Amino acid sequence: MTQSTRRNLRNGLLFVSPWLFGFLTLQVYPILYSLRMSFTEYSGFGDMTDIGWQNFINLFKDDLFWKSAYNTLYYTVLAVPIGVVVAIVIALAMNQKVKEVPVYRAILYLPSILPVFALSLVWVVFLNPKFGLLNRIANLAGIPTVDMLGDPTWTKFAIVLLAQLGAGGPALIFLAGLRGVPTEMLESAQIDGAGPFRRFFYITLPMITPVILYDIVLGLALGLQIFTQAYILTSGAIGGQGMAGPRNSLLFYVFYLYKTAFQYTQMGYASAMAWVLFIVSVILALSVFRWARTWVHYESE
Amino acid sequence: MKRIVLVAMTMMLVLSVAAFAAPTKITFWTTHRPPDSDDLQKMVDTFNGSQKDVQVKMSIVPGAETDVAKLMTAVRGGTGPDVYMLDRFTTAERAAAGVLEDLTPFIKKYDPNLSSKYLPFAWAESSFRGKTWSLPFDTDTRALYYRIDVLQKAGIDISALDVKNGPITLAKLKDIAFKFNKTDSSGAYSQIGFIPHINQGWHYTWGFAFGGQFADLKAGKVTPTNEGVVAAFQWMYDYYKALGPQKVRTFISTYLPPNNPPQQDTFITGSVPIVVTGDWEIAVLAQYAPNAKWGVTYIPIPKAGDKPSTWAGGWSYTIPKGSKHPDAAFKFCQWMTGPDGQKMYTLTSSHLPTIVSLSQDMSLFPGQHAFFQKTLAFASSRPALPVGGLFWDALTVAMNDVIDNVATPQEALQKVSDKVQPQLNKFLPLQ
Repeated sequence: MTQSTRRNLRNGLLFVSPWLFGFLTLQVYPILYSLRMSFTEYSGFGDMTDIGWQNFINLFKDDLFWKSAYNTLYYTVLAVPIGVVVAIVIALAMNQKVKEVPVYRAILYLPSILPVFALSLVWVVFLNPKFGLLNRIANLAGIPTVDMLGDPTWTKFAIVLLAQLGAGGPALIFLAGLRGVPTEMLESAQIDGAGPFRRFFYITLPMITPVILYDIVLGLALGLQIFTQAYILTSGAIGGQGMAGPRNSLLFYVFYLYKTAFQYTQMGYASAMAWVLFIVSVILALSVFRWARTWVHYESE
Repeated sequence: MKRIVLVAMTMMLVLSVAAFAAPTKITFWTTHRPPDSDDLQKMVDTFNGSQKDVQVKMSIVPGAETDVAKLMTAVRGGTGPDVYMLDRFTTAERAAAGVLEDLTPFIKKYDPNLSSKYLPFAWAESSFRGKTWSLPFDTDTRALYYRIDVLQKAGIDISALDVKNGPITLAKLKDIAFKFNKTDSSGAYSQIGFIPHINQGWHYTWGFAFGGQFADLKAGKVTPTNEGVVAAFQWMYDYYKALGPQKVRTFISTYLPPNNPPQQDTFITGSVPIVVTGDWEIAVLAQYAPNAKWGVTYIPIPKAGDKPSTWAGGWSYTIPKGSKHPDAAFKFCQWMTGPDGQKMYTLTSSHLPTIVSLSQDMSLFPGQHAFFQKTLAFASSRPALPVGGLFWDALTVAMNDVIDNVATPQEALQKVSDKVQPQLNKFLPLQ
């Protein structure tokens, strides 16, 4: 290496050193430490007793582990496709060529920047079987009352609906994607006689598939880690302290991890849970990317 | 030269006196909210004003009876408080985890006779493996409350509920309660006489009512499948079957949703005029329904001739590990849990004291509170297990499965045993 190259390298590393320090101490070290903890029995204080693979074995025998994994996957499989569709619809609305479109964009984006806990508390009132807006509107349309707070079959839908309020963020990205669709293609299709639906499904949609892939991967990551809304919705529950929602239907994986670590002081077991989540997430992400090769169309290719 | 030496010595003297006289500042965390936390703050102010050595700063932190995440992470990170108010029956659990300081040496040093001043069951809850880890603070008991005005307005005869007639049987209570049930045009309940599991109608409550034993500490076993507990769960199963489990759930989602404000509690609004709750409800009613006419009686008995039951809970004061001023912290704990502190708290918050001398002073229990003080004589308490939180949660899942009629009591309670016993085994022997 020449003098100047060496100097550049040194200066570069110096500039990056704060981030590097933070990365190593606050991300890499805790991850390795949690791997170490997952092979031990540890309350967070006192001694760490090595127990080999026992935590992982116990995990697969634990019915709440399976329940929380089922709840989380159920939620993710529901929330990701719905989230993509809602984000695209909002993006289409934001893309309309009307004079007041900046106002509409602001209104459609606003819910996603409101604090999650405030929205969750509002949601409890919104879902009330007798007095909540959701059921009142549904009743007007002839749909019978659904108890989304108390009926275990419907509680996850309550969270899916609540999560849609955050669709503003992905919608903005979709908006950028929509703007990237070449207008000449759309115009020539229109001249050839294609209606709006054909234009959307055969031209627009294929051109925004990279953004859809991004939203799916993002939705997958957020879905597998869902915690805040469930915690807030269930933490004041009457007669249910100790359960996450009716029949633990809102016991999501990260929620169970939190309880295991901090309420039952089983740090080793919780670390094992964290690593299982990590491995499953990596496998899912790799599978999604491989599957994406069949349907994502990049303009540069 | 002499002058410099003189000035230096004077300064050193002044500084050392100042340092000596400077009060030790300690931090105190509680998870209580208003109005109880207001009462605690008044006590802290009184303590601070009564002496100069220890000055306490109180903070309200997030958490609950079984959720001490904030405490644990703070202690682990070296920023824990000097004093923490802990749910007393979890003392064994937190001591086993290693979060608390052993108070035995402090008790030896400052008041070797301390244990004799407290009610025996409370002191037992504060102990684990022969050592003391917390100082008992308050306690409370549960009873059956009923809205005289609401029930009479509905034309129901409530003479059987009068406490002078002794405890009412569960069957008789069901008769009275079902008379109050009403459904609206869509078939959903608009009012229900009695919902066993809300407020303080916990698994422990009904288990104790049926004479159940939840654990055998000597044998190191949890016993959720004890016949008394199973009988209690069977009674709940049948009661909810008669009400219709899904309809009850919908009623609860409508009128008792999560984070329901106290003014809308169903006993205050009158939509559920009979409820099992604790003595603190006296203060709540005084604040939110001062014009309501209500009565208190024993928790119902399974069959005529049975003895009445209740259970006592309460909180305690602990010194988490890592406190830099444990002696000052102990002095504060001693005062708060001592006769002065407990007297203040009993009068303002309508909880019960755990100090023997105070529990005999009937002037501290005006009005209906005297009844609760009497029930302390036959109150049970929850077993002090190092897996207390896990056990409570598992029992809650079992109770809810039975309420929803998706499992039989035997199945549901067997699951509790299968889940909790292996965890308890790690801590044996317990004594």
